[in-house]
Order: sequence, then structure tokens, then C-alpha cells
Amino acid sequence: MISFEKHTLPNGLKVIVHQDKVTPFAAVNVAYNVGSKHETPDRTGFAHLFEHLTFGGSRHVPDFDTPVQQAGGSNNAFTTVDLTNYYITLPAQNIETAMWIESDRILEPAFTNEILSREKKVVIEEFNQRYLNQPYGDVWHLIRDLAYKVHPYRWPTIGSTPDHVAQATLDEVKQFFYNHYAPNNAVLVLSGNLVPDKAFRLAEKWFSEIPFRELMNPPREPEPVQTENREITVERDVPMDAFYIGWHMGARDADDFFAADLLSDILSNGKSSRFQQRLVKEKKLFNELDAFLSGENDPGLFTVVGRVNPGIGFEKAKKAVLDEIQKTVQEKPLDYELEKVKNKVEAHLLYHEVGYLDNAIQLANYELLGGAAQINEQVEHYRKVTPDDILRVAGKIFREGNMNTLNYLSKKDGK
Amino acid sequence: MINPDRNQQPDISPVGKINFLEPEKHQLSNGSSVYLMHGGEQEIVKLDFLFRAGSWYDKRKLDSVMAASMLHEGTSSRTAAQLADTFDFYGAQFNASPYYDNSYVSFLSLKKHLPTLLPVVSDILRDSVFPENEFEILRQKRKQKALVDSKTVGITAQRTFLRKVMGNHHPYAPISSFDLYDKVTRDHAHEFYRNHYTSERMNIIASGLVDKETLAILEESFGTPWGGSTNDAPDISLLQLPAPEKVDIHKKGASQNAIAIGRLMPTLNHPDYPALKVLITLLGGFYGSRLMKNLREDKGYTYSVHTSSIPFLHQGIFLTFSEVGTEVSADAVKQIYHEMERLQNELVPEDELEMVRSYMMGRVLREFDGPFAMSQSFETIFEFGLTYGYYERLIETIRNITPTEIQNLAQQYLSPDSMTQVVAGHL
Repeated sequence: MISFEKHTLPNGLKVIVHQDKVTPFAAVNVAYNVGSKHETPDRTGFAHLFEHLTFGGSRHVPDFDTPVQQAGGSNNAFTTVDLTNYYITLPAQNIETAMWIESDRILEPAFTNEILSREKKVVIEEFNQRYLNQPYGDVWHLIRDLAYKVHPYRWPTIGSTPDHVAQATLDEVKQFFYNHYAPNNAVLVLSGNLVPDKAFRLAEKWFSEIPFRELMNPPREPEPVQTENREITVERDVPMDAFYIGWHMGARDADDFFAADLLSDILSNGKSSRFQQRLVKEKKLFNELDAFLSGENDPGLFTVVGRVNPGIGFEKAKKAVLDEIQKTVQEKPLDYELEKVKNKVEAHLLYHEVGYLDNAIQLANYELLGGAAQINEQVEHYRKVTPDDILRVAGKIFREGNMNTLNYLSKKDGK
Repeated sequence: MINPDRNQQPDISPVGKINFLEPEKHQLSNGSSVYLMHGGEQEIVKLDFLFRAGSWYDKRKLDSVMAASMLHEGTSSRTAAQLADTFDFYGAQFNASPYYDNSYVSFLSLKKHLPTLLPVVSDILRDSVFPENEFEILRQKRKQKALVDSKTVGITAQRTFLRKVMGNHHPYAPISSFDLYDKVTRDHAHEFYRNHYTSERMNIIASGLVDKETLAILEESFGTPWGGSTNDAPDISLLQLPAPEKVDIHKKGASQNAIAIGRLMPTLNHPDYPALKVLITLLGGFYGSRLMKNLREDKGYTYSVHTSSIPFLHQGIFLTFSEVGTEVSADAVKQIYHEMERLQNELVPEDELEMVRSYMMGRVLREFDGPFAMSQSFETIFEFGLTYGYYERLIETIRNITPTEIQNLAQQYLSPDSMTQVVAGHL
């Protein structure tokens, strides 16, 4: 159980306070409802580039790092397809340093060509390091592009190509800021060793003067229902053949999400899961085999990833996985099997309650999704799932025509 | 409501006294030590079993690694599938990580399940049988993983660096050929297990909501002795440490180059170590470091650059690592040496040093934030037979080290001539 209190400031900023008396630290976490899904296809990677830019300082705080480090803290941020999340953790007595910085970041970042051109280079190196110069590094570019034709989940957060980042202009960047960065489009979470009343007063002091802003956030077109299976094949310099299969599923806040999550756990979470026991250990087909949900806020993907052992036969291995998938459509899971994955989820959620920063990030994410209180309702949702739910959801997700397959083959010598 | 004065940085209070939670030391009947680190609010217990069973003790490379990986693959009375099923059903997490000196077997569980699960853990530690079938699967898995890793410039550069800086025959050196995975056998790994996962070589660190009852359950499961006693520390007195070397590894078509530059250094129990930590932090240990400012903030060459100290028990290593654009790689290498020389030739300005002091104090505070962080910090010094006096000395050094002392240290340890350098990528 994670306790918290919530207020909304007149400018629309939602403020959540979560007290944790065990730690000497505090976290100031601000999540903005802007991710790569708010970008247009010809200008991808902007939300993430923008996250980098804001670290170049703001109108009253020329440099964020120095004061945070002087206060004994550290700051960082991440961008996903759905949101951008900034956080500073520091000894609790210095929380005001973080409030000063985070409120100024949203008041008015310093937009300069110098910072823009520097951060473009850094982001392009990040693109290289994490996606282009890694074995299997480009798979999410390929699978997203295959599975989505309309919805902006078609490209990953880093962007579809480094070119978009390279072409970004200062005007576009500014426009992006005023379209999305507003108190009425954000959640502030203060967590750690602090007194809730005082924390709310600090939030008011530093964030009240940020003006309410009209947002430019046109509704996204939903992805049309897929009716035919899609498949592409690429060859790369990797040691093992691999495949990635993605099926469309419901949104994060749909009832079926929990059943789908448990279904993926039955298939592959833990050494006793079906994939591990039957296909990795008994049949020795795979070096790695995993099933998971993208867990994104709009309707996402149920994905299976397999790296095939040498000498097995790619199609044979793939068929074995699809046979296991077919079984979930035809037969209910055993009560014991379902009970096991539920226990596992419950324990896992409890392990993650330790930590003021994790809790702050989760609270912010749930608030953007529809309500921070959901953080404490997860276990109950999972507990309610029945074997019949799993069967029904499997039938829905693994239906004919809903499948996207990427065959990622090892380049053979001489080709 | 009056708007805040944004031109004025809020006041900062320095990190004051840090509460080091001394673990409660107990002894099981078989002589193994148990350290209890009580804290937290969740009904969770984490057990770390430390065995002197790291790669340092390998007679043949990879035996220690395979032994740790095979731990929960079956006992005389439980199959691998049964073990996996039991832990999964109770939502417990069992992990064995072979490291360089110790092997860490860690077990995370809801407190209420300990009486059910600890007899199973005990069975694993006493009576694993290493079935041939499971061994073969793991051997293949590890080999393929190593092959994938070898495709990355980063891991290639780091592994080559470690071999060059210590020499191929050093017990800490990573393997030089994947063929070794074809030579490792189930019998060798099991022999390593028999000789090293013994009650005599074990220490237990329990953190979370631990109490007398936890201790009693530990005694019940782990209190009787098992295994014999071995003394197999390698003799490295005749080992020649290699001279510094510069190595290029060509990976055609790479879009970034990985740079690893460093040298041998004193390890954690050396009197210079706390001061070296300050020097390393200044150079490349945090966001505001010299190298981050130079390579990322100023030039945009890289997404990140990091300098670290690796404190193996018998050897410390200093390493600066970065992945940079291929066309700027040569200049990046030059800049790394330039920043080392600058620390040798110029005194660190007071305000910069002040910031490093504050940042590092925050880091130390973080290392004692909650029972799980504390148990980790305890394990770090425990390996070296040190007490919390180490952290007292570290804090003392962070607070009082002078620019002159830093310069002297840089002159002693950061001379570019003394560095081993590996660059992997499109050269």
C-alpha cells in the first residue's frame, strides 16, 4: 500500500505527495503528458530531443547540474512513447533546490542555437550507441513500423531516423515546448522524507506562477484493426537467427490488460514458465525466448521474441512457438498455473514498493493514465482474473490476421 | 502569495552525520557468520550468501561461472523444474552471480515464505547435482551470449582492456577465446562447486525485516556444516604484469568507436583509495566531471563518458570508457589524455572541488539509504575485511582533501605514459 495525498493548483498542475520516513532523501518528479506519440511522422524524436535540450538551463537557472550536485543530489530524465519524466533526488533538507529548478524548467527553458546544435550531436550519438551500433539494435524500429500504419507508436522514442533530429530548428523546438509543456499537462510528485503540508506549500510557492497554457494536442487517430498477417525478413551481422512477433492488444487501462499480462507470464515469466520448460529446456530450440507486453498507454503490442539455437531450423522453432500460442487459445490454463503467476506479480509489486523514487515515478505515470489511486488497485485487478478470462483474451489477441512477424536472420558469409 | 525570487539559488544545507547501521553479527553452529541488517517497512527479506567462489579461484577459466549458473538446476531430490516451480509459486527470486572474488547467491522473498523456502535453498547449496542436460543448455546459452557481446564495440574494448592491463594469465582476466566454452565440462564445474560452496567458505548477510525468528530459521536450514575445507588461492607472485600498451581493434562498418583507457591502481584497502575516488570523480565520475563537460557538453562527441575504479580484492583498476562518433575518435582520445594532464599540471579550483565534495557526500548518503543499500555497502567492505572505518575515512577525505593533494595524486597515477589504451571500431 502506497499512501499519498493529491491537490490541484489553480493553473491545473496536479501535485501528489508521498511520504517515506525511512529515507533521508526526497525526490521531485515531474511527468509531462508528452511523448513520441505526440510527434508527426516527418518530425520524430522531438520529445526526446526536447528532454535533452531542457538540461541546457532555463531563464533563471543557467545550469541545472551544478546546484543539484552542490545540494548532494542527482538529476535525470527519460522519455517514452507516452510521456516525458524529469526527476531530481537529493538529501531531503535541500528539496527547495530541486523545486527551483523544476519550476523554472517549465516556466521558460533557455532556447539557444548553441545548446540545440550540441544536444543534436549528443542525441545522434545516443541513437548510434543504443540502436545502430548494437546487435539486434534496430528491431524496434522494424517491428513498430510493421505493426503500426497510422498510430504514432509506429516509431520509437529515439525517432525513426537521426535525420529528423539533425534537421530540427530552434523555432520548431520552441513551438513544441508551448504546445505541450504546461502545468495543466503535467503531474508533480514529491516523495521521500518530507512533511506533506510543507511539501504542498512548497509546490504552491514555486509552481503557482507558471501560467496555464492552451495545449496543441490534436487527438490521435487510432490504429485501424489489422485484418491480414504481415511479415518481413531482414539479414544482419548477428550470430543467431531471431524472430519478433507482435500482436495488437488493448490499451493499458482496459480490463483485459491484466489477463493479457498474466497470459504473457504463463508463457514466459520465470524458469518454470511454459516457454522456458517446454521450448528452451525440453526441446532445446531457443537460446532465449520471451513474451511480454509493451505496456503502453494507448493500445500496444503483445510480443514474442525468440533467438533460435544454431542448427535447429528457423521455421521449426517458430512453429513450436505458434503451437504453444495456439494452445492458449484452445485450453484454459490450470488453476495452479494461474495462481503461480498471480503470486509472482503480487510479490514483484511489493518488492518495488521499496524506494521513494520508483514510487514517485509510478504515481505520476498512473495519474497521467487516469488516477494515481490505481497504483494500489493493481493487485486486486490481477487477483480477479479467471482461467476463462485468459482463454478469452488469448482468443482475442492471437486471432488470425492480427500478427506481425519480423524474421531477423544472421547474415551468412558470401552473401 | 508572493512569487519566489528565482534569481536567488535556495540555501543548501550540507549532508550532516550519516547513520551507518552496524549489522548485528551472529554465528551459526557450523561457524558461518550471519549479519542482520534490520530496516524497511515491507514484509520482505533479502538474503545474500557470499561464498569465496569467484573466478579468482578458477583452476580452469569458466568453472566458477558455470558452477554459479548451475546452482538451481537440480539436486538429488528436486529436479530443475521443481526448483523453478517452487520459487515461482511463492514469488521468490533466486540469483547466483559469479563475481571475481566472491560468488553472490541472493535470495529475495516475502518474509512469511522463508520457513517453506529456505530448506530448498539449503538443498541447493548442499546438494546440487548439475545434470548433464541442464549443463549443456546453459553452456550453449552462455556461449551464444558471449558471441552476441563480441559484436559490440563496447564489450570488445572493455574485455580487451582488462586482458591487456592485467595480462592474459591473470585470474581476473576475461577469457580470450570463445572456444573455452567448448572445453568446460560438467564434471569440472561440479568439482568447483563441491570445493567452493561449502559452509566454511560462506557468510550470510540478511537485510529487510529481519529478527530473532529469521536467525532461528537460518540456523535450522544452514546451521550444520557441509563440504570440506580447501585452500586454493592462486599464487600470483610470479605473474608478470604487462607494460602499458596501445591497441586498435578493427570492426569495419561500426558507427561508433569504443575507447577504454586506464591502468592498474591500488584497490580499496590501500590508504590512497579514498583520495583516488575523489580524483576519479573529478575526472569522469559524474555528470559535472571534466570529461563529461569536455566530450559531451562542450563537443557533443558522445552520449556518455565515465571513469571508474574497479576494486577487485587483490588488484584495483582505473578505467575511462566512452563510445564516440568514429570521425571524432582520435580527438576524443586526445582530450581524455588532455584532461588527465590538466589535473597533473593545474590545481583544481576551490568551487569545483566544493561541488565534488557535496556530490560525493550525497553519494555516500545514498549508499546507506535503507537496509538493502546498506547491506550492499557492508558487503563491499566486508570482502576486504574492513569495518565502517573505511567510510569514515572516505568522508574525512571528501571533506578535507586539498587541491595540492589532488594534484600530487594525479601526478602519481594519471600519467598518460602509464595508460593502457584500447580503441575498437571503424578505424
